[in-house]
Amino acid sequence: MAVITHAQRRSNLSQMIDKPGGVSIGVALTQARANIEAKRGEAAAVVDAQILALESITAPASPAELTARLEQAYHAANAVIDAASPFELDDLCRASAGLCDVIDAAQPGQAFDWRIVTVHARSLRLLQTLPLEETVARTQVLESLKQILTKKLPPKGSG
Amino acid sequence: MASPSSSARQSRATGGVGETLRESAVINLTGAVTMVVDDSPFALDLTTQALLGFGIKTRYTCNSGAEAMAILRDQPIDLLIVDCEMPDMDGYALVRWLRRSGLDPNAFAPVIMTAAHVRRSKVSEARDCGASFVVTKPFSASTLLERLVWIARDTRPFLEVGDYFGPDRRFRQGEAPGEERRSSLIRKAQFETERAAAQRGDA
Repeated sequence: MAVITHAQRRSNLSQMIDKPGGVSIGVALTQARANIEAKRGEAAAVVDAQILALESITAPASPAELTARLEQAYHAANAVIDAASPFELDDLCRASAGLCDVIDAAQPGQAFDWRIVTVHARSLRLLQTLPLEETVARTQVLESLKQILTKKLPPKGSG
Repeated sequence: MASPSSSARQSRATGGVGETLRESAVINLTGAVTMVVDDSPFALDLTTQALLGFGIKTRYTCNSGAEAMAILRDQPIDLLIVDCEMPDMDGYALVRWLRRSGLDPNAFAPVIMTAAHVRRSKVSEARDCGASFVVTKPFSASTLLERLVWIARDTRPFLEVGDYFGPDRRFRQGEAPGEERRSSLIRKAQFETERAAAQRGDA
């Protein structure tokens, strides 16, 4: 197969990064973390809204509806990760990522056990409301979801 | 704003992918014309806030691939940060279009893609669309900055190979681990072995 290599060119980024002025890495990170931290309250509201969206998705009445409903659920779970991940809400991210994995593994035209979505929605709500110090209860929730994933996901390397 | 000393300036912020940034190193990306594309207004806001902390004021924020395309056709950018998962035109399609657009300099602009979750069916898209980097979440300021500094120092050439147009996807320098699998290098090694054998025979 022919490979065409374009003459190497320096990007504008590479030309400006070492110019005088700017900011130290330490200061840049401190500022960025402070800016992100200021959004914590907003993030909690987004997570709440997306869990609500997930809870509100009704089970598909026909196979034709299944694809659209799964897409809705995937997007809601995806949005939970978007909002929760910068704030170290790892349990919420893990539960949402698991749901994304199961939906992603669903085969077109094949039946899907909708209880998986329902259980994930309830678990996310529980993880959201449980105090952070309730580590045992949180671990139990995640363990139950992990068991579902073990049963429902194809073994790694089979896809 | 810090005023960098020459010694700090001489010391580079990072050496390679995954290497931790040195806190005292100084970077200047203040003038970078940056576009962020994300269908989620909150995720878009988080990214622009992180960039603002790095000294980068985002010039263009877009909620869709179509909106981004309209700007990219007319306005040069220095950096594109785009979400992988978007309705209608996803991030992979946008980056693929950009690389093949023939727009100069935008077709060669550094692109960082962000993803909360990468679908299995999209793994090859993520590799082949021409992005400089795909950052999977959890999103953190340090990961984003580390990748930014890395692509600012990226010296990989752009390649056109079949359907692919983008930076050379081979990151590793020097010897590959284990058995060599690159056909061009295997053929070269065979040729050199045969030539050496022929020279011995002649002698």
